[in-house]
Amino acid sequence: MSLLSVRELNIEFYDHDRPERVVRDVSFEMEEGDVLGIVGESGSGKSMTALAIAGLLNRHDMRKSGRIEYMGKDLLTIPREELRKFQGNDISMIFQEPMTSFDPRLRVGTQVEEPLRVHRPEMSDYEMREAAVRTLASVGLDDPEKAYSLYPHELSGGMRQRAMIAAAIITEPRILIADEPTTALDVTVQAQIIRLLEKINMDSHMAILFISHDMSLVKKLCRDVLVMRKGVVVESGRSEKVYSEPENEYTISLMNAIPKKGARSYRPEDNDLSEGDIVEVDGLNVYAGRRKQRRLIVKDASFSVRSGEIVGLVGESGSGKTTLGKAILGINKDVTGHVHCNDPYPQMIFQDPYSSLNPARNVGWILEEPLKLRSGLDRGQRRDRVLEMLETVGLSPDIYHRFPNELSGGQRQRIAIAGALMQTPKLVIADEPVSALDVTVQAQILSLIRELKEKYFLTVIFISHDLRVVYSLCDRVLIMKDGVIVEQGDTDDIYGSPSHPYTRNLLDSSD
Amino acid sequence: MKRLLKSKSFRAGLVITVIMVLVTVAGYFFSPYDPEYMDLSLKFAGVSPGHIMGCDNFGRDIFSRVLCGCRTTLLVATGTVLIGCVGGVIVGSLTGYFGGVFDTVVMRINDVIFAFPAVLIALVFASLFGNGEATMILALGIAFIPSFARMVRSEFIRNRSLDYVESARLQGAGNVRIIFAHILPNAWPVLLQSVIIGFNNAVLAEAGLSYLGIGVQPPKASLGRMLSDAQSYIRISPGYALFPGLVIILMVLGLGLMGRSSYE
Repeated sequence: MSLLSVRELNIEFYDHDRPERVVRDVSFEMEEGDVLGIVGESGSGKSMTALAIAGLLNRHDMRKSGRIEYMGKDLLTIPREELRKFQGNDISMIFQEPMTSFDPRLRVGTQVEEPLRVHRPEMSDYEMREAAVRTLASVGLDDPEKAYSLYPHELSGGMRQRAMIAAAIITEPRILIADEPTTALDVTVQAQIIRLLEKINMDSHMAILFISHDMSLVKKLCRDVLVMRKGVVVESGRSEKVYSEPENEYTISLMNAIPKKGARSYRPEDNDLSEGDIVEVDGLNVYAGRRKQRRLIVKDASFSVRSGEIVGLVGESGSGKTTLGKAILGINKDVTGHVHCNDPYPQMIFQDPYSSLNPARNVGWILEEPLKLRSGLDRGQRRDRVLEMLETVGLSPDIYHRFPNELSGGQRQRIAIAGALMQTPKLVIADEPVSALDVTVQAQILSLIRELKEKYFLTVIFISHDLRVVYSLCDRVLIMKDGVIVEQGDTDDIYGSPSHPYTRNLLDSSD
Repeated sequence: MKRLLKSKSFRAGLVITVIMVLVTVAGYFFSPYDPEYMDLSLKFAGVSPGHIMGCDNFGRDIFSRVLCGCRTTLLVATGTVLIGCVGGVIVGSLTGYFGGVFDTVVMRINDVIFAFPAVLIALVFASLFGNGEATMILALGIAFIPSFARMVRSEFIRNRSLDYVESARLQGAGNVRIIFAHILPNAWPVLLQSVIIGFNNAVLAEAGLSYLGIGVQPPKASLGRMLSDAQSYIRISPGYALFPGLVIILMVLGLGLMGRSSYE
């Protein structure tokens, strides 16, 4: 009898006009100590599968069929009271967003103890506290006594995710389900969490079901892997085998979508850099907030961007990269020092195409608006230009009358890019333009940016936390940490021989 | 709009509302009797083929008076909502978009108006400008501004920090254009709902005010006025209260159904 056996699991939703089957005939087995990865893009059904196993998928407008057997008991059919004995005791789960998975009003310690309060009523308060502190220490929090009495908002993202893991493993479950546990975290922290999960698996022989969209993380952690697409398992097997000789077409396209070192499509010398500098920044300090809350975000930044190059601005969250980008655009006006931009109307591509497109307007209006504001073209000409641009960014003209909520993430980002280019700017600042997208879509958008850069002779400042993406795209790189540019230079030099310890740390974490 | 038309309750509401409007318009050109003609021989006459809703205490034909009352009531409600909506959009969008001290000051004034019952404002206006429909529309309209303003303001606060607004600014759009062309369309769905709810409240408020004698003056008919007159005779002639009441219910129901479906 295996530890966990999922047999022909089907999940159907009835909340729309037509029933929608989000998981189709998924079957797999897990033994004690296994680490199984489920990889897939959004909508692949990977999280639904995980939630069903954790017993957290109970809605009236859905139907589950098949079997989920834990130690021979079918979790789908046993009564709620019995299921509750397993939840958080034998099977635990950690989620993507460590901020929202904690109750902001309760101390971390109280929440880490919670599973014990439910499943080990015989334990005294003192014993629970002991166990919580011990577990917090085991997940690598330096001062577990202190962390115990803090509130969730007083911890950093990484520490919060560690505390979340502590809450999940305090009852020593046999199975830990981790649903995208590192997606919301910075790369260096990501690597630490993966190492922690590895250690937990080694030390206590806990089986881990690791859900992720990131092929390289799954490769690092998991012995077996399941590739899902649109609710169906398209490929499964040992990680080494799936990664070295993928059989399914979709798996291959997923693998190819990962930007690789040495896979750059062009070299800096291909570019015509004769026009000189387009952006000059010298001793720039950028502040945010008003009056008492005014803080220095970017400290003494100096660099220049030559016309026609793609410069990567890399750093973790809170490093000030977006603030610096907005200072160059002139959106952040609270600056001291020198910033000069040779393009009077530079544009920006935002991270989240869900908020960068006006939800109340259709695509045609959104793309025409920049022309209405600054072009002097008449109606017919504007319409022609919009249709032309739609073609350029690889969309069909029927999209003209659609609204943003009728488009996929990738289509939206194409529209956002088209909107930024309507006024034919010379400089475009792209703020994490692909990090909200699935990997295969990511690859398409990156190649689109490359194409458009050639076509319109653009200069691009590419803000990103993803070193692989930056490597595949950028001529030069600026590395930022805590508001300071710690290192800058040609991409090959920096990736080949990083001189600042932080850069080295970043590069090690992202391999 | 297409999505709305799919909803059953929206279609039902639309049908009721269209019928009510048609009846009102038809009543403008045609009514079986002069709504103000009194025939005391017909005092409290019951329902008959000649007088399908019977007659009131002065022997006036209730059906003719209902037709005429619909017109008054619809006019007052439309005027009220129009003033409230336009005023609310201006106040709400400016405060929500600009924020800061301006927002604080204007919204406190807004709260003060909100704190006064509509009836009180109408009384003040009536004593200043005299009774009548115009006074009532103005008073109710002003009383309605705060609730519209709050709705619109919260939509603007939610939208103003979104990336698409920043993007519009980079493309060279000014504040006025951002407010009216970019953000305001996002407030339409919420605004539509408040218009419909506001319309219902206006119908009821008009009935209430006329009932108190501040609004429409006799002998002119309004649905509210008729209800208030009918209450003294409810035992003798239940039809006098019943028919205008039913028509008010239909008006409110039609718009209520439409409003409900817009947030379903």
